[in-house]
Amino acid sequence: MTETVRVAIEKRSAVINTFKDELIRRLNLPYTPQDLHEDVSLLGAGLGLDSLDALEIVLCIENCFGIKIPDQNTSVLRSINTVVDFVLQEQAKKVQQ
Amino acid sequence: MRNLPLKKQFAASGASFSERYGTEIVSQCSGYEQEYHYVRDAAGMTDFSFMQKFTVPEESGIDFLDSLFAGNVAKTRFGRVLHTFLPDGNGNLVADCYIANNDEEYVVLCESIADDRVTRDIFTKNNTAGVTDLSETHVVIGLDGYKAWAVVKELFGADVLGLPYLSIERYDFEGTGIRLFRAGKTSEFGYLIMAPVEIGAALFNKLLELVKKQNGGLCGSLTHDSLRLEGRFFNIFSEGARVKDPLPLGLQWMIDFDKDAFTGRDALMERRTAGLKTKIVGVNAGKGDDALKAGSPVFDGAERIGEIVTTCFSYILDATLGLALLRSDVAFAGLEFRGGEPGGRIINTISMPPIMPKSLTVKLDEM
Repeated sequence: MTETVRVAIEKRSAVINTFKDELIRRLNLPYTPQDLHEDVSLLGAGLGLDSLDALEIVLCIENCFGIKIPDQNTSVLRSINTVVDFVLQEQAKKVQQ
Repeated sequence: MRNLPLKKQFAASGASFSERYGTEIVSQCSGYEQEYHYVRDAAGMTDFSFMQKFTVPEESGIDFLDSLFAGNVAKTRFGRVLHTFLPDGNGNLVADCYIANNDEEYVVLCESIADDRVTRDIFTKNNTAGVTDLSETHVVIGLDGYKAWAVVKELFGADVLGLPYLSIERYDFEGTGIRLFRAGKTSEFGYLIMAPVEIGAALFNKLLELVKKQNGGLCGSLTHDSLRLEGRFFNIFSEGARVKDPLPLGLQWMIDFDKDAFTGRDALMERRTAGLKTKIVGVNAGKGDDALKAGSPVFDGAERIGEIVTTCFSYILDATLGLALLRSDVAFAGLEFRGGEPGGRIINTISMPPIMPKSLTVKLDEM
């Protein structure tokens, strides 16, 4: 594995693992973290979570990473990967500040 | 080969046809770009009559269906649709299925990568559960698109807008009962209308009239394949047929691991315990004539780490998108690899779904 790839994976994995663990715990999902593909749809299709679950996910992101999701930005919650992208993006913004 | 009951109607509109696992399909109608925009901007109407279709009485159906499918049929509430798959004895994919709990019956719709006859035999051979095979007696017409809701609203009334995703409801069309599935795999509004062949032509004509009113038109299955990929819905006919194992494909959400028994369960559990060696990940290969194709190898430096399993062109992103099956230690979004050969075309692994469908912006009070 090239060094650039290794570093990028390490950074992303940390967010993925934290988020998956917390998602499973809070929503009592019958899966292990390895069972949850990062592209699986969170709402509707895929995991089939509902609007109450969506609120729980928003709280989960806030508690785990100290990041708030703006009310109008529901597109963030489409998959685990879109959540992770948002978290990494917001973390990068904080570092720049 | 099982022929399509609505072939005459689609042929009159210029459609081309081909065979897929022992059934005829409408390949294309007006071309990829036109059909793509019908769905993303208006409404597209597609013939899904190639699906295998069955009903099973509720009483005898639960145990029978639960013995076959990876998902939990018994836990599927009245009026709801379970999206799961039919595995073989090795836990590999045979069919991608919707199972609807519809009052006193279960309705099963399958997209299969086994021959049509073989798939139907799985349900009807030694038929102790009372399965009725509707594959040749019913049509299934799909409506997908940003404005697909307007078509079904005009046909069945405003209460159709209250149907949640993955649900089923009975309606009447010219005095005949039809089954309406609120389901779809394009990420836009989607519906499947299942009706007896006797009213197929009349239903086709009425729906096409309403679809055209929304500036939509007919679509082929090949365009649907691309729209599924762009919306990151599983497609058994592309990545499913190539990979076959549901675990690297990320289909664990379709499996109830707590169920005691179903076809292929032991093999799946064994692979689950062993951990994944490969995993599917989305890729963007940019734009260009040398865009990657299924089977193209993927490299990290000089090391081969996997291959592309399916691609499509996204007009929204103006780029070739795909799915790659990569070694699981490198199957992450946000990375840059090379395709075709070491130092070849840049491909970026991406988070899926990569587009924001227009349907997600529609508010109930606008409908």
